[in-house]
Amino acid sequence: MITRPVPPGEQVELNEDAKAFRQEVRDWIEENAPDELRNVNLPRYVRGGDLQRNMEAWGEKLHDAHYMCVAWPVEYGGRGLSGLEVALLNEEFHRAGVPRVTRGMGEWLVGPSIIAHGTEEQKETFLPRIIDGTDRYCQGFSEPGAGSDLASLRTKGTIDGDTITINGQKVWTSGYWNANMMFCLCRTDQEARKHQGISYVLVPLEDNGIEFRSIKQMTGEGHFAETFISDAKAPTFNIIGGVNNGWKVAMTTLGNERGGNATTQHTQFEEELWRLVETARERGRLDDPQVRDDLAWAYCNVEIMRYSGQQLLAAMAEGRDAGPGGSGSINKVRWSEYERKIGEIALDLMGPESFVVGDGYDLHPWQATFLQTRTHTIWGGTAEIQRNIISERVLGLPKEPSA
Amino acid sequence: MSAVTEEREELVRGVREMLARRAPIAKTRELLESDTPYDTEVWRVMADQLALPALAVPEELGGAGFGYAELVPVFEELGRVLVPSPMFATAALALPALLATGDDAALAEIVPALASGEKTATLAWVEEDGAWEGGTGTTASGDGALTGAKSYVIDGATADVIVVLAGTPDGPALFVVERDADGVTATNVPTFDQTRHVARVELNGAAGRLVGEAGAAPEILAESLDKAAILLAAEMVGGAQASLDMSVEYAKQREQFGRLIGSFQAIKHKCAEILVDVEGARSAAYYAGWAASENPEELPLVACVAKATASDAFFHAAGENVQIHGGIGCTWEHDAHLYLKRAKTSGILLGDARAHRRRLADRLGL
Repeated sequence: MITRPVPPGEQVELNEDAKAFRQEVRDWIEENAPDELRNVNLPRYVRGGDLQRNMEAWGEKLHDAHYMCVAWPVEYGGRGLSGLEVALLNEEFHRAGVPRVTRGMGEWLVGPSIIAHGTEEQKETFLPRIIDGTDRYCQGFSEPGAGSDLASLRTKGTIDGDTITINGQKVWTSGYWNANMMFCLCRTDQEARKHQGISYVLVPLEDNGIEFRSIKQMTGEGHFAETFISDAKAPTFNIIGGVNNGWKVAMTTLGNERGGNATTQHTQFEEELWRLVETARERGRLDDPQVRDDLAWAYCNVEIMRYSGQQLLAAMAEGRDAGPGGSGSINKVRWSEYERKIGEIALDLMGPESFVVGDGYDLHPWQATFLQTRTHTIWGGTAEIQRNIISERVLGLPKEPSA
Repeated sequence: MSAVTEEREELVRGVREMLARRAPIAKTRELLESDTPYDTEVWRVMADQLALPALAVPEELGGAGFGYAELVPVFEELGRVLVPSPMFATAALALPALLATGDDAALAEIVPALASGEKTATLAWVEEDGAWEGGTGTTASGDGALTGAKSYVIDGATADVIVVLAGTPDGPALFVVERDADGVTATNVPTFDQTRHVARVELNGAAGRLVGEAGAAPEILAESLDKAAILLAAEMVGGAQASLDMSVEYAKQREQFGRLIGSFQAIKHKCAEILVDVEGARSAAYYAGWAASENPEELPLVACVAKATASDAFFHAAGENVQIHGGIGCTWEHDAHLYLKRAKTSGILLGDARAHRRRLADRLGL
C-alpha cells in the first residue's frame, strides 16, 4: 500500500488568475519540453557532456519564452511572479518531469542584490546580461579565514580613480568552471568596523589575475575551487550598493522565491526514500525491527516536508506571508540533517558492500549520498549558524556577545 | 484569508482567550490539590458557549458539522494549558468510536447529549495487559450483560457514558453502559500525570447496549483510534509549544556568568532544535486533521506520522524545559514537571512513537 494520496496543490484553493497561469505554464511545457530531459535523474552538478548541452539548449528555449528570472520585477526583465506563482511554476516543471533551468547564482543571488541596491544604470547594464546568459557568476565570499564568520574577510580592494584593484584569496568557489564573472566581497576600508568597510564587486574573470585551483573533496570530485586573486581589476561602476556598503548587499534575498519550491521540495526526498526501501528489501533487511523503525522515521520526515509545503502553498494562495524570517533556517536544518541521516542508514543497510568502490574511486550512489550530505550541514550557513538564526530571529533570544 | 480560515481562527482565538481567563495553569494546580476532577464551569463554557464537544458531530445529531481541521487547533490550545476537562475522553475517544459504528438509532439517542456537553463519555477498550489494540477479557452475555474489567479508562470515574469493548460469540463489539447503572464500579487510580484522570472500571453483569454490529469493533476502533491519535498529537503539540515558550522566556531573564543564559549557544541551540521539532509536529497534526475529514484514505498513515512525531517532539521539549530551568525546574512548585509527566504519559497513550512507526511500516507494506 504505497500511495501518494494528494496530488500537490489539490487541497489548495486557487483563484482564477492562478489557475489560468498554471494552465498557461502547463501547456507551454507540454509543447516545448525536450524528450531527452524528461525524467532524467540530475546530478547536483551538471558538468559537461550531452547533459550540459541539453540543459543549455532547454535554458535557451526557456529564455526565449520569458521563463528566466521569473521572480524578478517586470521592469528588469523578469515576470514579477508572486511566491504562489513561482510555486505553481515549479510544480508544473516537476509534473512534466523536466528540470527548471535557471541562471543559477546570477538569478538567485546577484540579480536580487542589484535590484535591491544597484543604481538604474547598473540595473540596465548587468541584469539583461544575467537573463540572457551572457554573464555567468560564481561566488567569491568565503575565505580560508572567513567561513561562518564571513564578515572577518580580508581580501583587499583598493580604489584608484574609477578602478578597483582586488587582492586576496577566496575558497569554496562553486560553478567556477562555467563562470565568466565573480561577485566578490572585499575589504575597502581597513579601519572600519568588521561589517562596515566591505564592498560588493562584480569582477570579470578573463585575463584578470584570477586563478582557480580545484579542491578535491572527500568524494574524490572537485566541484569547488580555491581562488587566488592578484591585482584583479574592475571599474568602480561594478561596485553594487556603494563603497563600504557590501555587507548589506550580500545579505539580500528575494522574498518571493522563498517558499517557491514549497510543493516540490519533498519529492526528491520521497524518491530517495523509496530507493532506500528497495535497498533494504534487496538485502533482506525489511524484517529487522530497527530497519523498519528507521524507514518509518524517514517516511515521517518526508511527509512533514510535504505537509509543510502544502501548508505554505495554501497560506500563499490566501495571500498570507510565506513564513516568518527564520523559516528558511528551520527548513534547512530539517532537510540537511534528515538527509545526512539517510546516508548513514543507507551505508548500514549496504553493510560490508560499502567497503568497496569502483575503479577511480567511483562511488555507489549511497556512498556518494553519505559523503555529499556531510557538506549540506555546512554550506549556505552551517547547522550551528542556522540554529543561531532560528533562536535569534524566531525565538528572540539574545545574541552571543561578540569578541 | 478565506472564510473557512477566518472562522477557524476566530474559534481558536475564542478558546485561547477563554482558557487564559478561566483555566490558567494556576487554576489547574488548585484542582490537582483538591478532590474536584475538573472545573464544571469551565466545561459548561466549553460546551455551551464554544460548542467544543459538538464540533465534529454531524448537524443531524446536534453537532456543529465541522471536522478535524477545527478540532486539531482546539486540542492544541487545550494541551497548551493542561486543562483537566472531559473533552479528550468525550470528543477524542468516545464520539469518534460511536460515530464510526454508523448505528443511527443508537446515535440519535446517545450523541446529542454528548454534543451539547450535558453528558460526558469515555471509551473503555484497554484491559489489564495494557495492549492498546484493546482486550476482550470482558464479555457480553446474550442480553448484553457485561462482565469483566477495563483498565486505563480516561475519565472513567466521571464520564456519564462508557463505551465498552467486549467479546461476544460473533466477535468483539462495542456496548454503551451508563456509569451509574447497577453492576458498574468505576474507581479512580492515582495518576503519575495528575492532570489526566484514569479509572479502572469493573463490570458485574452491567446492562450494556450494543452499538454497531457484533464483530465490527476492530474495524470501528481502528478508524476511531487513528482519529484519537491525531487529536492527542494536536494536544501534545500545544504542550510542546508551551514547554518551549517557558524555556525561551526563562532563558531571556535568567543570568549566569554575568550573561543571560539565552545568549549561550548551548541554550540557544537546544531551543532552536525544539522549535524545529515542534513546527514539524504541528505541520503533521494539522495535515492529519485536514486529511481525517477531507481525505480519509490517508487516515491510517497520517495518524501514525502525527502521533509518532508529536510524541517525540513533546518529550524533547518538556525534557529540555526542565534542563534549561535547572534546579528550579526540578521542583514540585514549578510547572515544568506537569508538562514532563504529560509528555511521557501522552507519548505512551494509544501507543508510543516506536509503536506508531511500527504500525506505519506495516501499513506502508514494508
